[in-house]
Amino acid sequence: MSDYFDELARLLREAGVPRERVDATVGDLAAYVAESGTAPEEEFGPAAAFARTLGAGAAPAESAESASEGGRWVWTADIFIDEQRLNEFGAQGWEVETVDKRGMFVSRRDAERPQRWEYRREVVGREGRRALAERLAPDGWEPCGSWVHYEYFKRPAAASVGPAAEITAPPPAPAARMFLSRRFYALAAALFAVIAAVVAGVGVVLTAVTPIKGAHFWTGAAIGALAALGALWLMLRRLR
Amino acid sequence: MATDRRANWLKGVLDLLVLAGLAEGESYGYEISKTLAEAGLGQIKGGTLYPVLNRLEEAGLLAAEFRVTERGPGRRYYRLTDQGHETLREQGELWLAFADSVRAVLTKGKTG
Repeated sequence: MSDYFDELARLLREAGVPRERVDATVGDLAAYVAESGTAPEEEFGPAAAFARTLGAGAAPAESAESASEGGRWVWTADIFIDEQRLNEFGAQGWEVETVDKRGMFVSRRDAERPQRWEYRREVVGREGRRALAERLAPDGWEPCGSWVHYEYFKRPAAASVGPAAEITAPPPAPAARMFLSRRFYALAAALFAVIAAVVAGVGVVLTAVTPIKGAHFWTGAAIGALAALGALWLMLRRLR
Repeated sequence: MATDRRANWLKGVLDLLVLAGLAEGESYGYEISKTLAEAGLGQIKGGTLYPVLNRLEEAGLLAAEFRVTERGPGRRYYRLTDQGHETLREQGELWLAFADSVRAVLTKGKTG
């Protein structure tokens, strides 16, 4: 294998792409140039730049460093603060391109001329998504992602302030990918307390009136409690 | 200038061209590039094509499978998913409508 592909493989591994995927990708690219008869650098460009574009799509867990280099950042926030966070990061130049299957905001920031973005979240009512989008369009809002009965809209700040919307010194990409509010934690704690109380009550009754052993019951109860907490997250972020 | 303009046109439609190129069955990187070149779209470098393939795969519009061959290196074969077919149909129609509008305006400009 040529130096180019060795270098590319190393860069992709460093970007967090799984080894199996790196081997398949590099093998495929080697087959490509074997067939085209071109030099790898001529076909794919410099290894570092090519690895960035490939790694951005292939890495399952993107680090803040690779995100800021590639201008791409995938993140989420709970329902209580998502609109506020969207506007905060929109002011830093992050443009949401879509909301993915996991409920994450897939965002991009122009490396050369980042612009400010504004966001709003709307409930899709009886009028439907299309009518909602048409109603907001005259004010410059365009859909940028949907989640069950919610629709997210973005608007370039340039629509209202013109060239002043350009950001001259954008801050680096945030290291975090998940933003949870105090209300989320409070709700989780309350739910946990309720589950614990119910489990304890049922446990006392069961151990008193049935032959179920305490240890088996508590193991089951712990698994059930964890599942319930997982369900809380789904409720707030994914199934809303 | 003319090359830049052509590159910009392609940028806006390359993902749809890739989806369309896979509508009749699976294919691999070089073959996709060759098919597009033969259709008159010019030589699309691997450095342009693969990021698009990655994005389409990540979006669930393509499914890919790496197959090792007996002779020579293996290849990654791509095929359209159901979602890919649907996107191609919807977005392809929108692009064609757009192209019709461009044609109408340009034709009017030329004769006017």
